[in-house]
Amino acid sequence: MNESPMPAPGQDSWLADLYRKRWIRVVMLVLAIPTVLALVLGAYLWQRFGSDRAVEYTDVEEHFKYGSTGGEHVSGLPYWIFQALPQVCAQHLPGKGYASLGLIYEEGHDLPIGMSKRHHQGIDKTFLNCAVCHASTVREAATSKPRVYLGMPAQQFDIMGFEKFLFACAKDEKFSADFVVPEARRLAQANGQDLDLLDRYLVYPVAVALMRDRLLTIAGRFDFVYETPDWGPGRVDTFNAAKVLFNFPMRDLPAHEKNGPADFPSIWLQGPRKGMQLHWDGNNTMVEERNKSAAFGTGTTPPTLDTAAVGRIETWLLTREPPKYPYPIDAAKSARGGALYKEYCSGCHGASGRDFSGDYVGKVTALPTIGTDRRRLDSYSYDLAVNQSALYAGYPWRFAHFRKTFGYANMPLDGIWLRGPFLHNGSVPTLRDLLEPEKKRPSVFYRGYDVYDPVKVGFVSNVPSEGDKHYFKFDTQVDGNSNAGHEGPSFGTALGDPDKDALVEFLKTF
Amino acid sequence: MHTAETSGWRRGKILGWLGVLLVLVALGAFYGWYKFFRDVPQESWMTETPEMRFRYGSIGAENDAGIPYWIFYVLPRMFPDKLPGPGGYAALGVSWEQGRELPIGFTKKTIGFPRVANNCAGCHTTNYRAGPNENPVFINAGPGHTLNLEAFFRFLVDCAKDPRFNADNLMREINLVTDLPWDERLAYRFLIIPITKKRLLEREAQFAWIYRHDFPEWGRGRDDSMNLTKYFMIKVPMDNSFGPGDIPSIWNLKKYDQAGTTMNWSGDSHDSYSVIIDSALGLLGAPPKSNAAFLEQVKWLQDYLRNAPPPKYPFAIDTARAEAGKAVFDRHCASCHASDKTGRRMALAAVGTDRERMDTWSKDNAVAANKVVSSMGIERKGLVETPLEGYNPPFLDGIWARAPYLHNGSVPTLRDLLEPPANRPKVFWRGYDLYDQANLGFITQGDEAKRIGTRFDTSERANGNGGHVFGVDLPKGEKDALLEYLKTL
Repeated sequence: MNESPMPAPGQDSWLADLYRKRWIRVVMLVLAIPTVLALVLGAYLWQRFGSDRAVEYTDVEEHFKYGSTGGEHVSGLPYWIFQALPQVCAQHLPGKGYASLGLIYEEGHDLPIGMSKRHHQGIDKTFLNCAVCHASTVREAATSKPRVYLGMPAQQFDIMGFEKFLFACAKDEKFSADFVVPEARRLAQANGQDLDLLDRYLVYPVAVALMRDRLLTIAGRFDFVYETPDWGPGRVDTFNAAKVLFNFPMRDLPAHEKNGPADFPSIWLQGPRKGMQLHWDGNNTMVEERNKSAAFGTGTTPPTLDTAAVGRIETWLLTREPPKYPYPIDAAKSARGGALYKEYCSGCHGASGRDFSGDYVGKVTALPTIGTDRRRLDSYSYDLAVNQSALYAGYPWRFAHFRKTFGYANMPLDGIWLRGPFLHNGSVPTLRDLLEPEKKRPSVFYRGYDVYDPVKVGFVSNVPSEGDKHYFKFDTQVDGNSNAGHEGPSFGTALGDPDKDALVEFLKTF
Repeated sequence: MHTAETSGWRRGKILGWLGVLLVLVALGAFYGWYKFFRDVPQESWMTETPEMRFRYGSIGAENDAGIPYWIFYVLPRMFPDKLPGPGGYAALGVSWEQGRELPIGFTKKTIGFPRVANNCAGCHTTNYRAGPNENPVFINAGPGHTLNLEAFFRFLVDCAKDPRFNADNLMREINLVTDLPWDERLAYRFLIIPITKKRLLEREAQFAWIYRHDFPEWGRGRDDSMNLTKYFMIKVPMDNSFGPGDIPSIWNLKKYDQAGTTMNWSGDSHDSYSVIIDSALGLLGAPPKSNAAFLEQVKWLQDYLRNAPPPKYPFAIDTARAEAGKAVFDRHCASCHASDKTGRRMALAAVGTDRERMDTWSKDNAVAANKVVSSMGIERKGLVETPLEGYNPPFLDGIWARAPYLHNGSVPTLRDLLEPPANRPKVFWRGYDLYDQANLGFITQGDEAKRIGTRFDTSERANGNGGHVFGVDLPKGEKDALLEYLKTL
């Protein structure tokens, strides 16, 4: 034992003196109890409401399908409410569940491809990611099992229908805690979980109210979707949606800017596209900026974008190859087509499905030359371009590459077999149809079916329904849907039928 | 027991605490200075060439007139209904280059925190498009014919007046676009937002005349500049005068070196140095923090603008016809526009154009304004302290890009100006940027001009398109030749 300096009697500190008084001890005890209780409660609330963790995937393909871009922070829909809505608001869906909107469910998954999950603010939230618009399925025949392809256009997903469903549900009198919370709890219990007292009486009722409020606000800003023709599956009015981000008064937009639907694009092989004029009208030349712009659609804001998570996808997509054509190819026919392709197509569309060299590849062709529907082009305005230049202000990657153009960009054709329907507005169902002059292209067809047509190369487009699923009747007479353009001898529409067939055969090799 | 020793110890303790307090106060002062007053040079690209400096360089207006960057950023998103149309600030007709964070004439500078203010280029940049499928071209020091300045003034005041302009709403919007550190959030919430609101509201009384319903809109490309000077610089009570003038070109100011010339539409000011000082003070909204630094800016601007060349006509010119036009010009125009009368005062009766602009200003106003500026310790020849008489015949350098014409911008094109007043357009739309090569001016009719432009009615107050009945009787061939020649100026 060391010598310890014992305080001499009468020289105790004033604190020790004080402690000897009994009433002081009582007071301290009385104060201590609520303090400890508050600390315990604080710790509980902190662990319950303070955590922020997304469901993560080590495999990049799973990450692409189900990983978070960070969008749930601001835009997330409470998970169990999202799952309850198809029951609560069944009358606002075209069929059973979200699948009726063309969302794709894989076996063993509770969410469709393209939706991620995050625990944030004490509640599980879900929202869209890149894959919701850029992944889909193909069937060889109606009886075949669908095969999922990542990076292809989500040609079955009706995003306008999805928006309208959420808005309609939010406006429905059933969108209240009385209807939503019990259904959410039933689903949770059916999945071996539960909503506890705090969830049932505080968290979820508040979440229902907030979600309704938020959805109605967004619905107000997006009300232009009720005034434009249906996009149908696989299409979105990209840049009118972008104007909503700035809260432009959409009603006051000039008529020519409204209604610019565009087909979802494929997003593989981005590396070789660096520096090209990206988007259908070629309005941006920087892949990373284009990606962050698209990520606004997954609910992200500059502070909440998960740059690492999106960066993973960005890097993966630089070299991600499109899937090979899985059906037989007639080699001799394809070789003949190759010669024609070189003569007619390669200058604008690249030497091959992997070699994107060509004088006009990735560059804008003026509208009068290409002659396709002008609505998508007109929907993008100079005023929008300059406003976009302020996005991500204060970040090193502030947008600086958006430009107003006056035509459509010539795309490389990698994986073109999966990119139907064709043209920027998806107005021509198959490649073989695209080689016909406008008058001989189908004026009405059905979109959103995933059975493949290996003869014409594209999806079968004459099937209005299968079982209880109805496909979208695409009318090329509707504003924004014109199937004109990309036509004339130099576009190959004057070739003979055997030549056209050969050209289509060759395009299968892309 | 109070011994000398213990009281010395106590004194030491007190001094020690005082020392700690002093250090804390000093740290607090440093923090306050760093977060609110520290002057950070602009990013280098903003000033790397004279052309860029004119467009984006600060002239010091961020100190008092500056709007905190993030407030400026979110206002159009929060209050789109207070703008003339969709498009955020673009709806105000600002000249905005693609890829740039802010429009031309909007300067970003950190004084403690990032702020946005304006420089001369905000009003003095011309944009034109050669064709409907072309992007705009910007001309430094040209008239900002697309800018709806009155709408911009009103927008800021109207936002501040709205009850939704409060810390909760603004912070919610700001947090959607940037991730401010916690101390800056607090600063925004408790200081910057309330102070900005107060500052903007303070302008309301001085701006009373732009809310009057008995006055027409200025419309795009015009500025009631002398009334601005009266109500903001010399702070006279609102009178009944109203006279928006066309925003002028300010290139090639060297021409005003000639003795006897005066500047501004009515020859209100002695020289370019004075005009630049007075206009810049208007942008600053307060006396400069440092006169030396301010006058250095003014001298740079003066030097830049004295030597900035008028823009060359960017389309084809028929040289033979232009040659013939020169003879017409020499006979009919040169005596006022290329002579010792040019840029000098002329009696109103000699030209007969709308008098309202002239009536917005007086000798007393000039005396008062000169006093305000000299009381700041700034020496300049200043405003002319005599009553105005009319309008100066302008020099015509770069005249092709200075449409619409006359001091009040009441005649859309040069061709229209060669018509007798009765034949000049009575109603047209100003501020569309598509160039009209056939008539020399901008397109002022048609759907797009109506959508983008502001309606100009020549029957409204201060908008008269009468007067300047010169050359109106020339035969068509001579008018065509004259117009061709005017392209060369």
